[in-house]
Amino acid sequence: MQWLQALPILISVVLGIGLTILQPGERKVRNAYIMGSVMLTAGLSFAAIIAAGMADTAPACTLVRFSSEFSISLRIDGCSMVYGAIVSALWPLITLYSLDYMSHEGHESRFFGFWIASFGVVLGIAFAEDFLTLYLFYELLTLVTLPLVMHFMDEKARYAGRKYVVYSLAGAAFAFIGIVFLLRYGTTLDFTYGGVLDLAKAAGNETTLWAVFVLTFFGFGVKAAIFPFGAWLPDASVAPTPVSALLHAVAVVKAGAFAVLRLIYFGFGTDFLRGSWAQYAVMTAAILTIIYGAARALRTPHLKRRLAFSTVSNLSYILFSLTLMTPAGLVGALAHMVYHAVVKITMFCCAGSIIQKSGREYIYEFEGLGRRMPVVFGTFTVSAFALIGVPPLGGFVGKWMICTAAVLSEDPWAYFGIGALILSTLLTTLYMMTIFVRAWFPVGTVDHEALSKIHDPGPAMTIPLMVLAAAGIVLALFSAPLIEFLQAVSLNTL
Amino acid sequence: MRPFYENLPFLSMFAAIFCGVLSSVIRDGRRAYVLALAMAAVTAAMSAVLLYYVCTRDVSFVYSMGRFAAPYGNAIKAGPLQALLATVFSIVMGLSLLGGGRGLSHDILPEKQGLYFVMADLMLAGILALIYTNDMFTAYVFIEITTIAACAMVMAKDTGPNLIATIRYLFMSLLGSGLFLIGLALLDSIGGYLLMEPLARAVEILAELGRYHRPLIVSIGLMVVGLGIKSAMFPFHLWLPDAHGGATSSSSAILSGIVLKGYVVLIITLMTRVFGLELMREVGVTHILLIAGMLGMIFGSLAAMREYHVKRMLANSSVAQIGYIFMGLGLGTEFGVAAACFHILVHATCKPLLFLCAGRLSDVSGHHRSLKNLRGSAYRDFGAGVGFTVGALSMIGIPLLGGFVSKLYLSEAALESPYVAAVLLTIAVSTVLNALYYVPATLAIWVRPPWEEIREVMHDVKPEDTRFDRSFFTASALFICLVFLLGIAYHPVMNVIYAGIRLM
Amino acid sequence: MLLLPILLPIFGGVFVFREREEKTRNRLTLGLTVMTAVAAGILCALPEQSLRLMTIEGSLYLALQSDSLGKFFMVLISGIWLPVAVFAEPYLRHGGKGQQFQGFYTMTMGMLMGLALADNFVTLYMFFELMTLLTAPLVLHGGTPAARRAGLKYLGYSVFGAGMALAGYFFLSHFLTDQSFTGGGALNLPLAAAHRPLLLIVFLVMTIGFGAKAGMMPMQAWLPTAHPVAPAPASAVLSGVITKGGVLAIIRVTYYLFGAEFLRGSWAQYALIALALCTVFTGSMLALKEKSLKKRLAYSTVSQVSYVLFGLLLLSPGGVRGALLQMTFHALAKDTLFLAAGAIIVATNFTHVDQLAGIGKRMPRTMVCFSGAALSIIGIPPMSGFISKWYLASAALNFEVRALGYLGVAMLILSALMTAGYLLPIVVRGFFPGRDVLVERREVGPRMTAPMLVMSIAVLVLGLFPNGLQAWISTLLPQIF
Repeated sequence: MQWLQALPILISVVLGIGLTILQPGERKVRNAYIMGSVMLTAGLSFAAIIAAGMADTAPACTLVRFSSEFSISLRIDGCSMVYGAIVSALWPLITLYSLDYMSHEGHESRFFGFWIASFGVVLGIAFAEDFLTLYLFYELLTLVTLPLVMHFMDEKARYAGRKYVVYSLAGAAFAFIGIVFLLRYGTTLDFTYGGVLDLAKAAGNETTLWAVFVLTFFGFGVKAAIFPFGAWLPDASVAPTPVSALLHAVAVVKAGAFAVLRLIYFGFGTDFLRGSWAQYAVMTAAILTIIYGAARALRTPHLKRRLAFSTVSNLSYILFSLTLMTPAGLVGALAHMVYHAVVKITMFCCAGSIIQKSGREYIYEFEGLGRRMPVVFGTFTVSAFALIGVPPLGGFVGKWMICTAAVLSEDPWAYFGIGALILSTLLTTLYMMTIFVRAWFPVGTVDHEALSKIHDPGPAMTIPLMVLAAAGIVLALFSAPLIEFLQAVSLNTL
Repeated sequence: MRPFYENLPFLSMFAAIFCGVLSSVIRDGRRAYVLALAMAAVTAAMSAVLLYYVCTRDVSFVYSMGRFAAPYGNAIKAGPLQALLATVFSIVMGLSLLGGGRGLSHDILPEKQGLYFVMADLMLAGILALIYTNDMFTAYVFIEITTIAACAMVMAKDTGPNLIATIRYLFMSLLGSGLFLIGLALLDSIGGYLLMEPLARAVEILAELGRYHRPLIVSIGLMVVGLGIKSAMFPFHLWLPDAHGGATSSSSAILSGIVLKGYVVLIITLMTRVFGLELMREVGVTHILLIAGMLGMIFGSLAAMREYHVKRMLANSSVAQIGYIFMGLGLGTEFGVAAACFHILVHATCKPLLFLCAGRLSDVSGHHRSLKNLRGSAYRDFGAGVGFTVGALSMIGIPLLGGFVSKLYLSEAALESPYVAAVLLTIAVSTVLNALYYVPATLAIWVRPPWEEIREVMHDVKPEDTRFDRSFFTASALFICLVFLLGIAYHPVMNVIYAGIRLM
Repeated sequence: MLLLPILLPIFGGVFVFREREEKTRNRLTLGLTVMTAVAAGILCALPEQSLRLMTIEGSLYLALQSDSLGKFFMVLISGIWLPVAVFAEPYLRHGGKGQQFQGFYTMTMGMLMGLALADNFVTLYMFFELMTLLTAPLVLHGGTPAARRAGLKYLGYSVFGAGMALAGYFFLSHFLTDQSFTGGGALNLPLAAAHRPLLLIVFLVMTIGFGAKAGMMPMQAWLPTAHPVAPAPASAVLSGVITKGGVLAIIRVTYYLFGAEFLRGSWAQYALIALALCTVFTGSMLALKEKSLKKRLAYSTVSQVSYVLFGLLLLSPGGVRGALLQMTFHALAKDTLFLAAGAIIVATNFTHVDQLAGIGKRMPRTMVCFSGAALSIIGIPPMSGFISKWYLASAALNFEVRALGYLGVAMLILSALMTAGYLLPIVVRGFFPGRDVLVERREVGPRMTAPMLVMSIAVLVLGLFPNGLQAWISTLLPQIF
C-alpha cells in the first residue's frame, strides 16, 4: 500500500530514461509510448493520492535509509495532495498539446524522455516526507528540467539554461543551510504541521534561526522567482512553449513555492516565526516582487516574457500568502496555486499556438489576430480575465482568500500586501488587456493578406486549450468544496 | 604471537616498494603497468582485510619495524581510519592508472614508461607510509620520497610548460619539506622523542608546564605550514594548477586524489595523535587552518571560474576542495576532523573521476583541452560524459552523491563551533561558485556545437582515439559506483571514521 | 426571474456578435433591449425577490435581490438604453463595425442590470468589473491609437478604483452583521465603534475607489479622454449611465453597508463632501475652457455627477432625494446632449465649439433638443434640472455643519453660472450666428432625432410634473435610511 506512493515517481523516471535509450523511430509508437507513460504515471499518482486520502494516517514509504535520522521517504499529506493533483491533472493535457507542438522541433525522444522523468521528480517533491527528500528531488528537478529548457541548444537557450541552473543550485545551496539548522535545532526532519523546532534548544538562538530562515526562504524562493532572484524565469522563456507552460508556470516555480510552504508551516513553524523581523523581511520581499513582476510585465513586449513576468508577480501572491503564517494564509496560497496553475498554463499554451501558427512573438504584431484565431484568443481572453481577478473566475477567488487572510492576520504590514495586490490587479489588467485588445480591436491598417494565412491550430492543440479554459471556469464556479478541502488541509484536520 | 593481520600494513608498504624496485628492473612499460595495477589491487586487498579486522575488533595497534625498541625505533600504527584510507587510496591509485592507461601510453615516451611506474609504485608506498607512520622521522623520509615520485610523475609528460611546472612544484615541495624538517628538529629538541606516543606525552607535559611555549608554537606552525604548502593550502596553492593541469590524466588523478591527501592525513595524525586538538585550539593553529580553508574554498573556485582549460579548471577546483578539508580541520573538533576525513574520501574519488573523464574527453576531441573544443564531446564517449557529470554534480553537492554528504557533515560540525555563520555562508557561497563553473563545463560537453565546429575539431582526431576504451570505462564506472556509495551508504563509513579517530 | 434581465442581453449579445446581416442585427439588438426593459419592468412590478447563486466561502458568495433602489435604477437604465439603441443604428452605419458595437452594447445592459440587482458586495464588484471590461470595447471602437490609449486609461482608472473598493471591503466585511446589502447599514455597531478610525479610512478609500467611475476627483481624468474618441452613443451611455454605476456602488456602500448613522458627522464625510464640491467646481472650470464639444460635455459630466455625490454624502433624506433626482435628470439631459453632438458629427463632421456658429439653422431639431437639455443641466425652470438642484441646495442648507453647507450652495450657484457660461454660447451662437452664414439644412434622419426628442421631452415633462417621480422616491427613502 505505501509503495503506491513511490510507484508513480519511480515508474516515470524509469520510463523517461527508457525513452531516451530506446529512441523509437516511428512517430506513432513514440507518441503512444509517451502518452501511455504519462497517463500511467498520472493514474498511479491519483491512485496514491486517493488511497492516502482514504487512509486515516498515511504510512510513510522509505525508499533509502541512510541512517537513523536521514532517509529518502515519501508520505502524502494534504498539501501533497493539492500539489500532486495539480501536477497530475495538468501533465497529461499538456503532453497531448506538446505532442503536436513538438512534432517539428526535433530530438523528440530526448525531450519527452526528460519530460516524463521530470513528472516523476515533481511528484517526488509533492510527496516528500522530510526535508532531505524534498531537497533531493528539488535538486534533481533542476537537473532533469535543464535539457528541456535548453532544448533548442542555440546561444540563447544555452545562456538561459546556464542561468537557470546556476540560480537554482545557488538557491538550493542556501536552502541547505536551513536544513542543517533544522537538523540541529529540530526534533526531526520529517514534515510536522506546526514546525519541528525544539523550542528548548532554540531558546536563546532565535535571532540566528530567524536569519537562517530568511536565508532559506530566499534559497527556495529562487525557484519561485522572488525578487531579486527571479531573473532566470523570463530568460527561461526561450524554452519550447510546453516547457514554459508546464514547468515555468506550474511545476518548477510552484515547487519553489511548495518548498517555502514546507519550510514555513512544516519546518520552522508559524508560531516561532510570526511577529519576528524575519517574517517582515520575507513578506516585504514578496510584496515587492508582486509589484516588480507586474510592472516589468507591462514593459515587456515579448509575449512569453511578459507571461513569465506575470508568473513572477503571481507566484509572489502565493509567497505573500504563505508569509502571513496563519492557516488562512495557507488556504490562500494553496487556492491561488491551483487557480494560477490552470490559468497560466492555458495562457502559455495559447502563446505557444500563436507563436507556432503565426510566427509572431511580440505583442505589437498581434493586431487583428483575434479574428483569425478565435479559439486561441477566446481562451486567452477568458484566462486573462481570470488572471485579472474578475469574479467569479479563479484568480478572484485566490486573491480573495489571500486578502481575507491578510486582513485576518491583523498585521499592519500585511495591509501593504493588500495594497500591492490591488495595484497588481491594475497592472495585470493593463498588461493583459494590451495583448488581446490588439488582437480583437486592431488599430490602423491590417495586412489582410498576411493574416489570411493564419488560422487556429488543429484539434490536438485546441482541445487541451478549451478543456483547460473550461476547467478553469468550472473549478472557479464550484470552488466551494475545494476551499473547504483546503481549509481542512490548512488546519491539518484532514 | 602477534596476529597475522598486524603484519598487513607493513606488507602492503613493502609490496609497493618491492614492485617499484621490480619495475625498475623490468623496464618494459607494458609489464610495469600491469605490475603496478596488480600491486594496487594487492595493497587494496590487504588494506581491506586489515580494515575488516580492526573494525570488527575495534582496535588499533602499534607495529615496530626494525630492531630498535621504543621510544627510538621506526614504528607504524594502524587503526580503522588508517586502514580505511589505505584501502580507498589503493583503489583510487589502481583505478586511476587503469583509467588513464591509454593516455599514459600516448603522453609518455615509451622508453620512460617503465620509470613512470617505478615512481607510481614508490609514491603509493610513500602515501601508505604517511598514513600508517607512528614516528616523525619515518614521516619525514616518506614525505621526501612521495615528493620526488610526484614530481617525476608530473614531469613524465615531456613538454616545456610541464618542466617549468615541475620545477616550481619541486621548489615549493622542498620548501615545505624544509619547513617541516625545521619544525621537526625544533620539536625533537624540546620534546626529546620522535615516536609519536612519547612525543605526545612530552608535548602534553610541556604545554601543561608552560615551558618552551614559544618554540612549541613555532614548531607546530612550521610543520603545519610545511605540510600545508605541499597539500596546496591557501595561499600556498599557486603551484598546483600548473602541475596538475599539465600532467597526464593518470598523474593528475593520482596527484589530486591521493598525494595532496597524504600530507593532509599526516596533519590529521599530528593534530589528533601528537599535539591533541585542545592544544591546537589553544595556540590558534585551528583558526589559521579555518581561515585558510575558507579562503581557499572561495579563491580556488574563483580561479577555476576563470579557466577555460578543463584540467586547469579541475586543478583549481582541487584547491577549493582542499579548502573544505582544512576548514573541517580548522573547526578543531572531532566532528570537524571526521567530516574532513570523509571529505578526503569524497574528493579522492570524485576528482580522479573528473580528471580521467576530462582526459578521455579531450582524447576523443583531438587532445584539445579548452572547453570550447570539448563541446559535444560527451556524445563521442558517453561513459566519460556521464562520469564527468556525476563527478561535477557530486562536487556541487547534489544529494545521493558523496559531495552532499560531506557538505552536510561539515555544516553539522560547524554548528558546534563559534564560527557557524561564517562557515555556513562560505559553504553556501562556495557551492554557488562550484555550480558556476561545473555547470557550464558539464553543459559544454553535452551541448552539440554547430556542425562546422565539430568537423574542425574532428579533423585532429585519430581513429584509434575514438575507439571504445574498455579499461577507462571500467575505471570510470567503478569510480561512479564509489561516488554513489559514499553518497548513499555513508553511514558505515562515518562509523569507521569515528572509531578511527577515537582509536587514533 | 431575477436572472432574466441579466442573462437575456448577455446571451442575446452573443447572437448579435454572430449576426452579420445588418437589418436582422438591428432588429435583434432593439428586440433584446426592449425585452430586457420589459423583463426589468415586470421585475419592478413584482414584490421584492432574492436569489442566492453560489457560495464559495464565508462572505464570498453571489446573490441577487430586487430592492426598491435596484428597481429605480433598472428603470433608469431601461429608459436611457432604449433611445440610445435606436440612435446608435444610423450612427453606426456612418462609422462601420456595428456588429461589434451592438454586441457589447447589448451585453453591457445585462451587466448594468446585474449591478442594480446585486445583493452583496462581491456580486456588485463582479458586475462592476464586467461592466468596465465590456464597455472598454465601446471606447476602443474607433480603432485609432488615441482610442486605444483612452480605452486603456479608462480601464486602468476603473479597475484600480474598483480594486481600492475591494481592498476596503476586505476590512469592512469583518465588521458586518450581514454581508448582503441592508437598508440603514449592516455594521456590527459595538464592534465597529471600537475600530472607528480604521473604518472611516476604509469608507474614504472605497468611496474614492468607486468615485473613479463616477468621475470624482482625484480619479476623474479618464472621462475627458474617453469621451471624445468613443462613438456618440457610447459617450452617451458612459456619461449617462455608466458613471451612475459608480454612484449606485457608492450608495450601496454608504447606505447599505456602513449606514448613514455611523458615518454622519465624521471627518471622512466632510473630506468627501469637500472633494465632491471641489470636483463640481473644477469640472465646470475645465469645461468652460475646453473647446472640443464632446470634451466639454465630458467635463460637464464630471461636474454634474459630483452634484449627485454631494447630495449623497450629505447623508440626509433631502440630500438623497436631490441626488436621485439629479441622477435621473442628468442622465436624460446629458444623453440628449451627447446624442446631439453625435448627430452634429454625422451631419457635419464638426467637433469643435467654434465651428458650431449657425448650426441651429442647419439642424434645427437637433439643436432644439440640445437647448432644452442644456437648460436643464444649467438648472433653469421649468426644466427638470432645476428641481433636483433645488432639492440639493435646500438639503445643503439644512446640513449640520453650516459652513460646509453654505459653501456647497455657493458652489452650486457658481457652477450653475459657469455651466450657463459653457453651454449657452453654443445654443445662442447656433441659432443666432450674428452674421449670415451660408446655411443649408442638413438635418439627420428621424431615427436619430426621435430619441433625442423623446428624451428632451422627458426632461421637460419631468420638470413640469415631477410628482410621480417624487412619490416614488419618497417610498424609496425610508428603505435607505
